[in-house]
Amino acid sequence: MSALSPRALAIVAIVLALAAPHLVSAFYVTLLNYIGVYALVAIGLTLLTGVAGVVSFGQAALVGIAAYATAWLTTTQGLSPWIGLGFALVSTLAAAALIGLITMRLKGHLLSLSTVAWGLAIAFCFGNVDGLGNFTGIAAIPPIYLGPISLGPSQRIYYLILAVVVAGLWLARNLLDSRVGRAMRALRGGALLVESVAVDPFRARLTAFLLAAAFAALSGWLYAHLGRFVSPSSFDAGAGIEYLMMAMIGGAASPLGGLIGAALITWAKNAIQDYLPLIAGGAAGQLEIVVFSALFILFLQRARDGVTPYLAALLPWRPAPLAPAPLLPRRALPSPGAPLLTLEHVERRFKGLIAVSDLSFEVKAVEILGLIGPNGAGKSTTFNLITGVLAPSAGAIRFLGETVTGKRQYVIARSGIARTFQHVKLRPRMSALDNVLIGAFGRLSSGVFRAALRLNRAEEASARHDAQRALERVGLGARAFDLAGQLSLGEQRLLEIARALMTDPILLVLDEPAAGLRRAEKQALADLLRDLRAEGLTILVVEHDMDFVMNLVDRLVVMDFGCKLAEGPPVAVRADARVREAYLGGVA
Amino acid sequence: MNLDIAAILTVDGVAAGAIYVLVAIGLVLIFTVTRVIFVPFGDIAAFAALTLAALNDKRLPGTAGLVVSLAVVASLMEAYALYARGRVKTIPRALAWYLLAPLILVAVTGGLSRLDPPVFVRALMAIGLVLPVAPLLDRIVFRPIADATVLLLLIVAVALHFALVGLGLLFFGPEGVRTDPFVDASLTLGGVIISGQTMLIVGAAIVFSLALYAMFGFTLAGKALRATAMNRTGARLMGIRPARAGTLAYLAGSLMAAVSGILIAPVNTIFYDSGFLIGLKAFVGAIIGGLTSYPLTALGAVLVGMLESFAAFESSALKDVIVFSLLVPVLIWRSLLSDEAQEDVEE
Amino acid sequence: MRNLSVLLSVAAMGAWLAASPALADYKVGFITSLSGPAATIGVPYAKGIAAAKQYMPAIGGDAVTVIQLDDGSDPAAATRDARKLVEEDKVDILIGTGTSTSSMAMASVANELKVPYIAISPIKGGPADDGNLWALGVTQPPPLMVKAVAARIVRDGVKRLAYIGYSEAWGDYVYNGAKAAEKPDGLQVVTNERYARTDTSVTAQILKIMAAQPEGVIDGGSGTQGALPLLTLAERGYKGKIYGTPALVNGDFIRVGGKAAEGILCSGGPVIVADQLPDDHYAKKIALAFRDAYQKANGAPSTDSFSPYAFDAWLLFADAAPRAKAKAAPGTPEFHAALREALFSVKDLAGTQGFYNFTPASAYGVDERALVLMRLVGGKWIYEP
Repeated sequence: MSALSPRALAIVAIVLALAAPHLVSAFYVTLLNYIGVYALVAIGLTLLTGVAGVVSFGQAALVGIAAYATAWLTTTQGLSPWIGLGFALVSTLAAAALIGLITMRLKGHLLSLSTVAWGLAIAFCFGNVDGLGNFTGIAAIPPIYLGPISLGPSQRIYYLILAVVVAGLWLARNLLDSRVGRAMRALRGGALLVESVAVDPFRARLTAFLLAAAFAALSGWLYAHLGRFVSPSSFDAGAGIEYLMMAMIGGAASPLGGLIGAALITWAKNAIQDYLPLIAGGAAGQLEIVVFSALFILFLQRARDGVTPYLAALLPWRPAPLAPAPLLPRRALPSPGAPLLTLEHVERRFKGLIAVSDLSFEVKAVEILGLIGPNGAGKSTTFNLITGVLAPSAGAIRFLGETVTGKRQYVIARSGIARTFQHVKLRPRMSALDNVLIGAFGRLSSGVFRAALRLNRAEEASARHDAQRALERVGLGARAFDLAGQLSLGEQRLLEIARALMTDPILLVLDEPAAGLRRAEKQALADLLRDLRAEGLTILVVEHDMDFVMNLVDRLVVMDFGCKLAEGPPVAVRADARVREAYLGGVA
Repeated sequence: MNLDIAAILTVDGVAAGAIYVLVAIGLVLIFTVTRVIFVPFGDIAAFAALTLAALNDKRLPGTAGLVVSLAVVASLMEAYALYARGRVKTIPRALAWYLLAPLILVAVTGGLSRLDPPVFVRALMAIGLVLPVAPLLDRIVFRPIADATVLLLLIVAVALHFALVGLGLLFFGPEGVRTDPFVDASLTLGGVIISGQTMLIVGAAIVFSLALYAMFGFTLAGKALRATAMNRTGARLMGIRPARAGTLAYLAGSLMAAVSGILIAPVNTIFYDSGFLIGLKAFVGAIIGGLTSYPLTALGAVLVGMLESFAAFESSALKDVIVFSLLVPVLIWRSLLSDEAQEDVEE
Repeated sequence: MRNLSVLLSVAAMGAWLAASPALADYKVGFITSLSGPAATIGVPYAKGIAAAKQYMPAIGGDAVTVIQLDDGSDPAAATRDARKLVEEDKVDILIGTGTSTSSMAMASVANELKVPYIAISPIKGGPADDGNLWALGVTQPPPLMVKAVAARIVRDGVKRLAYIGYSEAWGDYVYNGAKAAEKPDGLQVVTNERYARTDTSVTAQILKIMAAQPEGVIDGGSGTQGALPLLTLAERGYKGKIYGTPALVNGDFIRVGGKAAEGILCSGGPVIVADQLPDDHYAKKIALAFRDAYQKANGAPSTDSFSPYAFDAWLLFADAAPRAKAKAAPGTPEFHAALREALFSVKDLAGTQGFYNFTPASAYGVDERALVLMRLVGGKWIYEP
């Protein structure tokens, strides 16, 4: 099995695709056309579902909006299909924007269920709104014209569809490897992860949703001018489910999976239609769907992630070498000793329970502050209050003089507080470098268009170089292209710190960074933190491990039962009688 | 719209809602134990109705053949799995459960169908024939992927639904059926006629809701079932067998699906594909209940029935649009209610 | 390299599959809805074709091959299937399918690919870009179907007519047909209630109808679901007249409708009441032959009014094919053109559902003789002249 490079394979595939209309019969060209049209929706779905984790059952409805839009415009208004394209895109994106604004804040399953709801609601509208041909649909839709050439015949529109699909794949691939794409890829790690790198999850999801809608709109436009006939039954619940099936069979994690899934399912249905009558005779019509479903279930039982992981295993992936590039600009760090983070009489209640009560302390610039206390002292709650996961019930928190009480996590992250997590939150299937690059979101600026068209190369090169530097900083420079899931726990914690450093923070907040580390790893971590302080970073550490903390921090704050017990340099705190009593239960 | 019409629409809405209640609480039952959104639930209910109609015509319907084939496949799979794990001694018991029990049911029903049993017995036969379908499908389709993501389980459930619809068409043909009502009496309440059948459905809905609520909230067995859905490994560590919990849930679900099927059959014309929309609307009710609470689910299902009834009066063509559009505000309300941190999607 | 060879062999297989042997015999491409919501109509169509093959397995000594595909009640699938039959299997004629929407989709394909097509569901025919009609409708035009009943409704003295029908193409047809019969001081259609094939309750719609106090109700549904409004009307105590269209004329409608459907007056093709027709009625002989063939081919008597349309389509083809064969060989584009001409010049052909006379000017070839009125009495359709 020779090592075929992906690029060579892509070229072969494109050459074959260009030659296809001359190689296969007219009907198979029609089949390929439909595969292309369906693939567009499936590619959009891989971005939305596979990457961003939003399961959408309603894409068929969006395809329908585009198809009806162009059908109506070109038949009743007699305008050119190219104007129909614009109209279809605008209609679909407008609808998607409205739906997205309302529903993208929903959590988990509820978001997926909302796609069922609006998918069905819109589908039912197609047949019931007057002027759209009711259930008869709209017929005699004109073909697309390229100048004087009509794209009515299957062989001709094939090339347009091929071009759109190839362009779609290219755009999707570019997007995934960009600032916006990484934000979408981070979504599956959970809201906490996403917000900690200054990404607004709602906006990231909405972006993914609109992208998928754009793909659906293109598909709808092509569908209308390919079949030259639209009716409501092509956009119902069943169609929505089929698109999802295509994405899952092909492998929802990669845009190519959308194309593969569309091809497999369309081909399978056609093959079943041809061969089943040979086996089942008259009952073939009813059995088609049974056989198709049984095969589908069998496939998913064996290969949950679809086809593309198998293909990816066959094709070796060589990472792009990192060229030197100018580093990204950095923030000015405050002068040592200035008050950086201030908590004033902060309180947090959970119904009847007071988790944090009248807590006040200050973190000064360029110091390492430790926050310690026995279990249940309220350290985690304080941590969540500082990073914005929870809002205080009373009191104020100020960062760099600005009030951050009650602000969203991602806003706080953007203003310069970076955090790590007690249970490491990484994207195990992304490389270490990509995981670190997630942190660069707030420092880069290219949006969807620049990313899709690869106009962001300069920015990306700088970011990658910076990320490599961050990895080297924490000692993981050699592991840049390993998958994060393959690293040891200690290495993963360092990776999280690298990601946190990538956000260019002023204050680094670490949640039990030493937990689960071996002695040597703890030494390395302590050395790293001291080095970071020397560079002007301020660090707040919440920790259990007394040895680690005592030898590292400049000052300690001790909590117990939600209140501040003691504050001061480690030596003084260690000798404090109240601290001893809290930890050991009595005067030692 | 005056009071009379409103009253009639309300009764109609409650009647439809009661059917949705039965289906919805069954869906919630299966979801809370196995994390599978069992889309084919409605199809099994439709099968029960169609089976009853076939039995009324003194025919042994294709359901029997389906059960036999599923039993054979499931037994083979189970036997092979046990053999592969070296637990050959437990194979006979597994066969008794997966092969003998369904075959006995089919044989008894087959024998009885030649005679002319009374309506009540025929209803029991229809239930008995349909009962093994869901647990057997669980063994064949869902058990191998029991730890997959909710999305994968949902997609597989949808594929299974398509397969069952196709089989339904094959066995029962495209025409609908309507059986005779079990109870001919009717009640007049405030000028509105409530048929006996409607009261039977409402009664069944109430009984099942209360039973499930009691079992899951207050008995150890119920809590064990809930534990399996929350954390399979943890449940196993506690000595609960997730596989058995799943089978029990499907058995109970099958029972409720069958009961709802034979109860609807006299009221609505049931086609081979009726199950889907019934299941879908019941599912809306289950969402209102948050997929966890039985009383809220029952309430939600009744709400959907009423909404459908009144929306149909406003605009019969757009009634489905109205019902499904109004699901979105419900979801938003539910989302605001649930405070829990978003579940991390597994990679 | 392996991937490349795999790709090439797939392409080769596709090309091989595409090649088809040229036969001197006829090839009929038949699309119907064997699954999906239209299966209640599509399955009878398939049985009708089976009856036709039983009745006339060969035309003028030449064998007929039928390739049957299921469109699953989806017009897009019907389009693709039609293309497949023409481009892959090189059929001589297309016949189909279960819903009007899908049939019209097939008509577009027929017009584009220049292949004759006999529609067995009602369509709105339109010419292709060469000015010719390639799609032929074997059914009575829906306006005609409703006109026959509407004439009777007016004769019955009904002034207020309520309508309830499907929220889809067929429902539109019946409503438009009823509307067309309106007169300024005569018949008025007072409601336009709709329901979906999959609905389980039409109480709300019926309440609105009752509120409009009609003297007659016309039912624009079909098959078993057509019985639903009647059942609800009976529940609500409606005592007026009920009318229907051929779509209601089948055994399952009677079975589900039971007492509530008693007394309904429907228009329908003569075949349903074939044995009650006078002996000199044009349809009697062929209708009885159809019944006989249906029983032999399907093992049960015919009780619906859909299968005869498929049978009649076969008759039309059988009438036109030998005339076309005289001009060109089957399996060629010239044969398509010749067959088209022959179909559109069918004269005086007695079918089970009409007396056919086609001209190139119109896609329909039947007149009032294609419909009779029948009333459901005691579970049987009784001919009402």
